[in-house]
Amino acid sequence: MTSARPAGGVRSLGASLLDDVLAETLDPAYAQAAAARAARGEQRAPSRRGGQVLVALVMVVAGLLIAVTYDQAAAKAQGRQEVRAALVRDIQARSELGDELAGQLDELRVEVSRTSDDLLAATTEGQRALDALARAEQGTAALAVTGPGLLITLANAEAEADDDPVGGTSEADPRGRVQDGDLQLVVNALWAAGAEAISINGQRLGPTSAIRFAGEAVLVDFRPVTNPYEVRAIGDPDALAREFLLDAEVQSLAAVSLNFGLRFDFAKEEELSLPAAGSPELRSAELLDTRRAAGTDPTPGG
Amino acid sequence: MIPILGLAAGVLLGLVFDPTVPLWLQPYLPIAVVAALDAVFGGFRARLDGIFDAKVFVISFVSNVVVAALIVFLGDQLGVGAQLSTAVVVVLGIRIFGNAAAIRRHVFRA
Repeated sequence: MTSARPAGGVRSLGASLLDDVLAETLDPAYAQAAAARAARGEQRAPSRRGGQVLVALVMVVAGLLIAVTYDQAAAKAQGRQEVRAALVRDIQARSELGDELAGQLDELRVEVSRTSDDLLAATTEGQRALDALARAEQGTAALAVTGPGLLITLANAEAEADDDPVGGTSEADPRGRVQDGDLQLVVNALWAAGAEAISINGQRLGPTSAIRFAGEAVLVDFRPVTNPYEVRAIGDPDALAREFLLDAEVQSLAAVSLNFGLRFDFAKEEELSLPAAGSPELRSAELLDTRRAAGTDPTPGG
Repeated sequence: MIPILGLAAGVLLGLVFDPTVPLWLQPYLPIAVVAALDAVFGGFRARLDGIFDAKVFVISFVSNVVVAALIVFLGDQLGVGAQLSTAVVVVLGIRIFGNAAAIRRHVFRA
């Protein structure tokens, strides 16, 4: 075959395949049948009734195929949409329920702490316990706080204008996204710089708070926070800023965010208010020696 | 004229009766439709060329649909179903385009 095309060489094999595909769009069987008829001396294909019926039947089948496939594709798309809507409804209902329960929990917790305060305030031992409790609550971010501090904003890189808009499903460059590690780094640097309290997008961080990644969302204490991420830290703004900016990891993060178009700003704020951390769990409790105070020490462990 | 009426009747039948297709057959429907379209365009062009033959048309239609579905089925079994589907669609697509161009030349003389 290659010898027939002296200039082609190895390339002609592939080229001839393409040529065949491009040139031979009509089934050669038609031409063969026509040639055979011509050889038999017939002028045109005899238009037999059976043949016509057969052709019509095949066309009916073709139409049926097209319609059924169209139906199927449409039904699939609709089904996906319905499932999606149902899931969204489910999620909304659940998160409303969750908010409601969290509200109830807050009320109950206030009630509990008021009752225990009342009880403890009656005795000197109780007073001491109350003081210890107050200190512990400071440390565990159980109280809302206000004060001056730093506001650090991290945000994903903006979609670039020359990104391909056709491939709608194409993922944004994951390096242009804020990762859990970035937030962890910022938070750790802030603690190291002497921050007294930190929150991310209004979620106060306690001593056991976790910053994790789940799919594409960053979770703080298992609650999702979304782009842009605002990290508020309370402390002396000047000292905080100085220490924070001297941190080697922060500097490398700044370089990285410059490279990949992440937003990484910080500002000193006169007045920041951070909420209390949600739901400290009761993890350990011990019986007091005295029989009088037979209750448990409600030191929040979370 | 009769074949076109047949096609329309098929579409109507499918839309009206909405037959359910067995689940295992569903992945092969789109590719079968592309193969069927190729056969239909080929037949139309042959008719305009004056070499239409009912037997060739019926056989090419059935074998086109079956072979296209078989190739995709085989690809699915081998784990390259998506790629083979693409290959089938590309080749049949080129042929449909070529035949459509030939039909256009016949109809519009351009």
